[in-house]
Amino acid sequence: MPIVTFLPGFRKVEVSSSDSLMTAAQKAGLSINAVCGGVGKCGKCVMFHKSGRIRFDADRFKEFFTQEERDAGAILSCESYPEDDCQIMVPERTLIQNQQILMNVVGQAVEFNPSIRKYYVQVKPPTLEMPASDLYRLLDAIFHAGGPNSKQVYVPLEILRRIPSILRDSGWRVTATIARLPAGYRMIEIEKGDTSTRLYGVAVDLGTTTIVAFLRDLTTGQVIGVGSSYNKQISCGEDILSRVNYSKRKGLSRLQDLAVESINNAITMAANNAGVDRDDICEVVVAGNTIMTHMLLAIDPSYMIEEPYVPVVRRSLTASAGRIGLSIKPEGGIFLFPAVSDFIGGDIVADIVASGMAESPEISLMIDIGTNFEVVLGNNEWMFACAGAAGPALEGGEVLFGMRANPGAIEKVSIDSATLDLKYQTINGKKPVGICGSGLIDVLAELLRACVIDRTGRINTTLGHPRIREGEYFPEFVLAWKDETGIGKDIVVTENDIKNLIMSKASTLAACIILMNQAGITREDIKTLYFAGGFGNYINKDNAITVGLIPEVPVDRIINLGNGAAEGANIALINRKKRKFLDEIASLMGYIELNAEPTFMDEYTRGTFLPHTDLTLFPMVEKSLELCRLRVEGK
Amino acid sequence: MTISYSPGWTASIREVVIGATAAEGGTRRISYRIGGESDLPCIGSGRKPLIAFEICDDPALWPDVIRSACTKLVDNPPAWAAYVDTTLQADLIRLNLTSTRRRNFDAYDAVSKTVIAVLQATSLPLIIEGSADADIDSEVFQRCGEAGEKEKLVLGTAEAARYRSVAAAAIAYGHSVIAQSPIDVNLAKQLNILLREAGVPDDRILIDPYTGALGYGFEYTYSTMERIRFAALKGDGDLAMPMICAPSDTLTIKEVRAAVHSHETAVSWEVATAVAAALAGATILVVRHPGSLAPLRTAIDSLWKEEVA
Repeated sequence: MPIVTFLPGFRKVEVSSSDSLMTAAQKAGLSINAVCGGVGKCGKCVMFHKSGRIRFDADRFKEFFTQEERDAGAILSCESYPEDDCQIMVPERTLIQNQQILMNVVGQAVEFNPSIRKYYVQVKPPTLEMPASDLYRLLDAIFHAGGPNSKQVYVPLEILRRIPSILRDSGWRVTATIARLPAGYRMIEIEKGDTSTRLYGVAVDLGTTTIVAFLRDLTTGQVIGVGSSYNKQISCGEDILSRVNYSKRKGLSRLQDLAVESINNAITMAANNAGVDRDDICEVVVAGNTIMTHMLLAIDPSYMIEEPYVPVVRRSLTASAGRIGLSIKPEGGIFLFPAVSDFIGGDIVADIVASGMAESPEISLMIDIGTNFEVVLGNNEWMFACAGAAGPALEGGEVLFGMRANPGAIEKVSIDSATLDLKYQTINGKKPVGICGSGLIDVLAELLRACVIDRTGRINTTLGHPRIREGEYFPEFVLAWKDETGIGKDIVVTENDIKNLIMSKASTLAACIILMNQAGITREDIKTLYFAGGFGNYINKDNAITVGLIPEVPVDRIINLGNGAAEGANIALINRKKRKFLDEIASLMGYIELNAEPTFMDEYTRGTFLPHTDLTLFPMVEKSLELCRLRVEGK
Repeated sequence: MTISYSPGWTASIREVVIGATAAEGGTRRISYRIGGESDLPCIGSGRKPLIAFEICDDPALWPDVIRSACTKLVDNPPAWAAYVDTTLQADLIRLNLTSTRRRNFDAYDAVSKTVIAVLQATSLPLIIEGSADADIDSEVFQRCGEAGEKEKLVLGTAEAARYRSVAAAAIAYGHSVIAQSPIDVNLAKQLNILLREAGVPDDRILIDPYTGALGYGFEYTYSTMERIRFAALKGDGDLAMPMICAPSDTLTIKEVRAAVHSHETAVSWEVATAVAAALAGATILVVRHPGSLAPLRTAIDSLWKEEVA
C-alpha cells in the first residue's frame, strides 16, 4: 500500500491505491476544502504533485488551472489516486480554515448550556452502616457534583448492568454522561476514571447538495473541527423531487442509508480533523429541509409532494444515534429541527434562530434564494413565511452562458454608461468561462443604468455599439470578447437570458410583497433584511435593489447571514434552552401557500419590470435611474 | 330617495387632443379634446365617448362580413373615408394599413400616398394603424408620421415588444400613440412607463386594454378597464390616460360567420361589446360595420344624457 506524504507538514498516511488523495489527506487529519463533495466539480481541493507516481487525468480538469499551475503539478485531490509512495504539496487555500467558515456566519453571543454533561464523581463505597444501592450512591454523588436530582434521572437497563463492575473496577471513580430530555434526564454512559474533558457534539447542516458538520467541544463550546461531504443521495436524483420519486419507486431505505452515510462522512472528517474519537461524540443536532429530515428518519415523504402538501411531522424530533445509524456513541442522541410546512423546513427555522429575528420586536425580512426561494417576515410576536420556485436563472440555469459560482465564472460586472466599457471579475481570477448569479444581477442593473435595456429587459438595438448585436435567436450584449475568454468564443447575455432572470426576480419580489401586504407593513417598517444562503455573500446589494430582486431598504440594513442553517444548528447544540424556542418559532409562523394566494399572479406581473411596475416602491432607485437617463440622453 | 355617492377620487383622466384645425396648424374641420373625466362613466360631467369607424387599405385581411357590407368601397380608401365622414357621420376615422401585413412588404411610398389621400378625402381627425412587424415598423411609422405632420394623428399600435418606432414617429411629428397591452392593468402601466421613458409625453398616450368579444373574454377586458380607471382616479398618473376600445374580434367569431343574418348578428355583437366598453370607461369606440354606427350612437346618446353631460 502506498504511503502518501503531505507537505509542508510531512504528514504521512498509508492508504490503498483506490483511495483518492483527498481521502488520504482526510485520513492524515487535514480538512480539505471540497464544496462539491469531492466529485471533481468545484476545483477547490487543489494540491501539487511533487514526486512519486499518481493517477490524474490532467486534460480532463485542465480548466481549473492556469498554465503556471499546471506546470507546477496542480491536481484535484479528489480525482487523484496514489500508485506508489508519493509526496504531495497542500497549499494553504485548499485547507478549510475554521476561521474562514466561522466568519461566514453572523456571530451571535449564545449562552453555553449544552443538553449533555459529564460528571466525574467519586462514589462512596457501600458499608454495613450505609448499605444503599450502587445506583443510589452513584446518583447521589452526581447530584452533589452539581447534577440533576436523582429521582429525575432515568438509567437504561444496558447501563445498569455495567454499573456494579465499573464502580468496583475503577476504584469508585467514574464519569457519568447525562443527557437532558424533554421530560427529564437519561444516563447514556458510564466510564471508568475521569473522561469529563472528552465530551463532544456535532451541529449538522443537512443540505440537498452538501452537508457540513461542525464538531464542538461540549465542555467549552468551542468549534474544534469542521467536515463536509456532498449529499450522496445525489445518486438517486439531483433535486429533491426526483429523490422522493425514487423512494416511491425503490423504497426509502437507500435514501436514508445515503443520508446517514453522508452525515457520517462529514462527522468523520471533522473528528479526524480535530483528533477526536467518534465514540466521544454524544449528540448530533441536524437542521435540514422538511423532506431531507423525513428521509433521514425514514419517514415516508411521498405525500409531501402531492396536494395538499402536508408533512408527516412538523415538531422537533429526538432519537438515539444508534437507531438512525449515526457513527457516534450509539446511546448518543440526535436532535432534528422542527419544520413549518413542506417547503419551510428546519433549515429555515435555523436561519431564523441564527438571525435572531424571532427575539426582536423590530420587523425583519429574511430571504433565502436558490432554485427555490423561502421568504420569512416578522418579529418576536408574529411571522409569515412562504416559498416558491425562482427558476434556475439565478444559479446560472436557463441562461446561455450561465453557470454556478465555480472558477472562471464572471461574478462582478461594472459598465461605463457612456462608453459601454466593461469591467468584470471572475472567481479565482481565471479567464471567464461563463457568468454566475451575482454577475447576472450586476449585468442587469448596469445595462439598465446605461439605458441599454428598458424596464422590461429589452435590449435597445438602435444604439449602434459593437457590444450590442442581433444574436442567432435574440438580441444580445457582449460581456467578454472571444480572445479574453477561456472558452474561445464571445460570452454574451441575451434578451432571453434577461427575460428568465426577470421572471426569477419577479417571483421572489412578489413573495416579499405578498408577505408585507399580509402583515400590513411597508418597506420602511423593515429594520433588517437578511440574505440567507451563499448567494447573499456575493451579490451586490445595491444592484439587487436596483433590479428589484428585493424590496428597497437602505443598504446598511441588509445583512448576509451566510450559512444560517449551520449557525442555527450550532446554536441549538450549545444551548438546549433554544430548542424549545425552535418549536415555538415553527408554530408561531403562518405559512402562506402562494398557489392559493389570489394576488400572486398580479404581484408577479408587477414584478416583471425593472425594478417594479409601481415605481413609488423604489424611490431611491427611481432617483438614481432618472439621473442615469439624463446623463445618457445628455451625451 | 336620495343616494349619497362620495367615492373620494383624488385625480382625473389626462386630456389628449386629437386632430388639428386650421387654427391649430392642421387641416381638420374639428379637433377633439378627450379625457378629463374625474369620475366613473355616466357619472358627473364626463364627456360622451367618440365613435371611430375603421377602414383599411388592403381588404384581403378584413372580415368577410365587413367586405360584403362595404361593397366596392373597400378597394378605395379615400372614397371609403369620404363615405364614413359624410354618410355614416362618424366622429373619427381609423385607417388600418393592412397592406403592411403582407409578407415581404416594402411599398413604403404607397403608405405615404394612402395616408395623404385619406387626409384629403375627409376632414375628420385620423387614427392610423400601421405595421405590426419590428423589421418594417420604423419605416412605416416614419412615413405615416411625416404624411400627417401637424394633423395631430393618433398612431397605433405600440406594444411592450415593439414600441420604439411608433414612439419615435409620434415624438418627431407631434402625434399621439395607442398603447396596447394584453388585458392586464400592470402590463398597461408598464407600457405607459416605457413610452414615457422613450420620450412620449403622457398627454399623447391612449390606452388600448385589448377588447375581447362579448362572450369571448370581454369580462376580462371589462374588469381590467375598471381597475385602470380606479387606479387613475385614485392618483396613478401612469394609468390616467383615455382608453380606446376596438371590438373588432366580434366580427370573426363563429356565431357571426355561421349566422343566417350575419349582418344583423355582427352589428348587434359589435354594438353590444362597444356599449359595454363605453360603460367600462372607453373614450373612443372603434367599429367596422357600417350598420353599427347608428345604433351605437343612439345607445351612447341615451346613456350620456345632456343633463349629465
